[in-house]
Amino acid sequence: MKLQDLSIKRKLMMITMLTSTVALVLFSASFFVYDLISFRHFLSEDLATQAQIIGYNSAAAMAFKDQAAATETLAALKAKEDVTAAVLYSPDGKIFARYDRANVGKPSLPDRLPTFDGFRFQASYLEVFHAVALNGEPSGRLFLQSDMSQWNSRAKRYAAFLLMFMLGSDLLALLVASRLQNLISRPILRLEDTMRMVSSKKNYEVRALKFYDDEIGRLIDGFNTMLSEIQERDAALQGANFELKSRTQELEGEISHRKQAQDELLGAKRAAEDASRAKSAFLANMSHELRTPLNAIIGYSEMVEEEIQDFGRIEKIDDVRKIQSAGKHLLALINDVLDLSKIEAGKMGLHFENFELASMVQEMVSTFQPTVVKNDNMLELHLSEGLGQMHADVTKVRQILFNLMSNACKFTEHGNIGLSVDRLEAEGQQWIRFRVSDTGIGIRPEQQENLFKEFTQADVSIARRYGGTGLGLAISHRFAQMMGGQISVESEQGKGSVFTLYLPAYVTAEASGTVKPKQFGAPAAAAPEPKPQPKTILMIDDDPAERELMQRSLTKSGFNVVAVADGEEGMRVAKRIRPLAITLDVLLPGIDGWEVLRQLKADSELADIPVIMVTIVDNEFKGADCGASGYLMKPVDRELLVKQIEKYCEIPPSTSVEEVSVDASPSPEVHPRQR
Amino acid sequence: MLMKFRIVAVCLICAALAFPSRAQTVDSADSSEYLIKAGFIFNFANLMQWPASAFSKPDSPIVIGILGADTFGGTLDEVLSGKKVNGRSFVVKHLKWGMDLKDCNIVFVSSSESAHLEEIFRLLKGLPILTIGETASFARRGGIINFILVDDKVRFEVNVEAAKQADISISSRLLALAKIVPQTDGSKAP
Repeated sequence: MKLQDLSIKRKLMMITMLTSTVALVLFSASFFVYDLISFRHFLSEDLATQAQIIGYNSAAAMAFKDQAAATETLAALKAKEDVTAAVLYSPDGKIFARYDRANVGKPSLPDRLPTFDGFRFQASYLEVFHAVALNGEPSGRLFLQSDMSQWNSRAKRYAAFLLMFMLGSDLLALLVASRLQNLISRPILRLEDTMRMVSSKKNYEVRALKFYDDEIGRLIDGFNTMLSEIQERDAALQGANFELKSRTQELEGEISHRKQAQDELLGAKRAAEDASRAKSAFLANMSHELRTPLNAIIGYSEMVEEEIQDFGRIEKIDDVRKIQSAGKHLLALINDVLDLSKIEAGKMGLHFENFELASMVQEMVSTFQPTVVKNDNMLELHLSEGLGQMHADVTKVRQILFNLMSNACKFTEHGNIGLSVDRLEAEGQQWIRFRVSDTGIGIRPEQQENLFKEFTQADVSIARRYGGTGLGLAISHRFAQMMGGQISVESEQGKGSVFTLYLPAYVTAEASGTVKPKQFGAPAAAAPEPKPQPKTILMIDDDPAERELMQRSLTKSGFNVVAVADGEEGMRVAKRIRPLAITLDVLLPGIDGWEVLRQLKADSELADIPVIMVTIVDNEFKGADCGASGYLMKPVDRELLVKQIEKYCEIPPSTSVEEVSVDASPSPEVHPRQR
Repeated sequence: MLMKFRIVAVCLICAALAFPSRAQTVDSADSSEYLIKAGFIFNFANLMQWPASAFSKPDSPIVIGILGADTFGGTLDEVLSGKKVNGRSFVVKHLKWGMDLKDCNIVFVSSSESAHLEEIFRLLKGLPILTIGETASFARRGGIINFILVDDKVRFEVNVEAAKQADISISSRLLALAKIVPQTDGSKAP
């Protein structure tokens, strides 16, 4: 483990210990050195003093050359343990007397006496030279040598003491440091614990404990602030995550729901298309089947007319002509339906060819002349110069023009019919414009919108007056589209209309591809419903005579009537047949009419069916309270009853009446209004 | 009285001269002996304390008188020439009988005068004069310092009593090296 990687606790301890130890060592060493130097100085001084004394004491002996006395004086040095040798030299440099410490071998004496007096350190010895003089008269020199054993032992003692002092101090420092380092390391260790807890358990709710208001305290404060911020964001993130999950689930639910709906829609669409196709096929077949007998009728009526003329029975000729006219009308009707069916079934083909436009129009107008004259109208034909050739299905163009012209003639009396044809260029293409104008009754703006839709005429009343299938404009519109053109109308009521047909001068198969038979789907589906469901009325009345009377009158008005005698039976039948409306008597055997009414309204399946009370009990308020739609008193006025039913069942009065009347009186006299 | 002294002195000197062989013997025994003795004499002067009355002036020289045969043969002069003790130089005089000894501070009595010692001590009695001899029992008989030979080495005896009588104080350092001898009756000495 590297020094840098030690724990803060250890580091702090180590720093403290190192610092104190270094200080101690430096202090002790300097103290030690100082002491030893001063002691050495002291020793040398001491030895010099010693030399002075010895010198003084031996001066006389030297002067009198008393070696024995001198030796004796030197021998006094025995008391000084660290003096290893002492030598007295006579002035001529010869050894006069000497002393050697007993337990040491002969010490090495200086080869040559130095000239100075004083001390010197030689090797491990302290040496002192001292001039010996007797009352100022030099009598020789003294040499003293010390092995400084005192100094050495003192140094040893001192070193040992300092070592012990240092050890003791370090021990004390260790004790203090181990206590004091807590001040710094404890908060850091706790902070580290907290951090580990946060990082390992992802627990952002814990907070580090703050001990003191120092830098570490501020660090802990910062850490805690950071933690709470993270916690907030975590919570926000989790919330967002949760929301996202629930949203995703919702979306998934919605997607699957929509997919289901889409599947259902697709299924419905397919079913509708199938139904539409089947219907178109059926219509086409039916038209063919209808044409055969019609041909016979027309053919035979013509033959009969000729025969009548031959026989001179002129008074009967009008009747036969009516048969003929009706037959032809029916044939035209059937042809239109056939065309439309073909278009819808996608079986209407186009046969393109080149033709001379001007001659085609003139030819058509000439055959149209009698129709123009019939309503006392004037025809104005205007052909631009250089119309040239056109490439299109000539039959379809002729049919469109025929239809527009015949409409113009039909709705105009004592007016002008105009046809103008010109060629123009737009969108980089040659176009032929046909304008058919009249000064007839005109069309209201709101009617113009539905003008080109199948089975629609500007007004029902118009249809009655002028006849027609309502298919002519629709077929023209489809043909124009098939050839890449369009028909538009401008009209003002009472002043006349202008129909404008645009066709490309050169119709191509590509352009004709814009045809979308689909567009016929919706309107066509409503129209050819062959037999409308009979409108069934449930009658609950216990009086057989009353039942008979009401049944007859309602049947006459086009309703299918089911009659029952009591309330329980009435409930059962109502559930089974789901009548359009219910008439209910109050006085009944078993449960009475009020109870039946309540039960009907309580049943979620039957609550929507309007109930009209027909009774002799006069309590209209109670009826309204219980949910009855209408209240009639017996004896019942038939027209009032029908009106009420129509009102509550939201049946358009004319349609219902008409549908019924078709079956009732299929007279051709009534019908030429279509087309 | 003075006359008588002088006669005695002369007689002594004559007697000394009459026995030159003795002197020669000593002389020939060791010429360096007197060099040492000369040094010693200087040292003695160095370690002595004369009474103030002994010198007329503070820088008055120390006068050494040699009584009897001059056994130093000039070495004393050589040794002492230029030397000073307490600011005093040395003057060496050769004494003759009848000369006033009072001017001397040190009187060296040569061995030639051993026969006249009583006379000499009597003359010097009460005077602050250091008497140095080289005759056996010189100190005992009243002399202050006497050279002796111990193991062929020059040593000396000190008669402390005599020094006291002469009002001369001797340094303990000198006494430590000396052989202290008591005062005995001179007449009974051999």
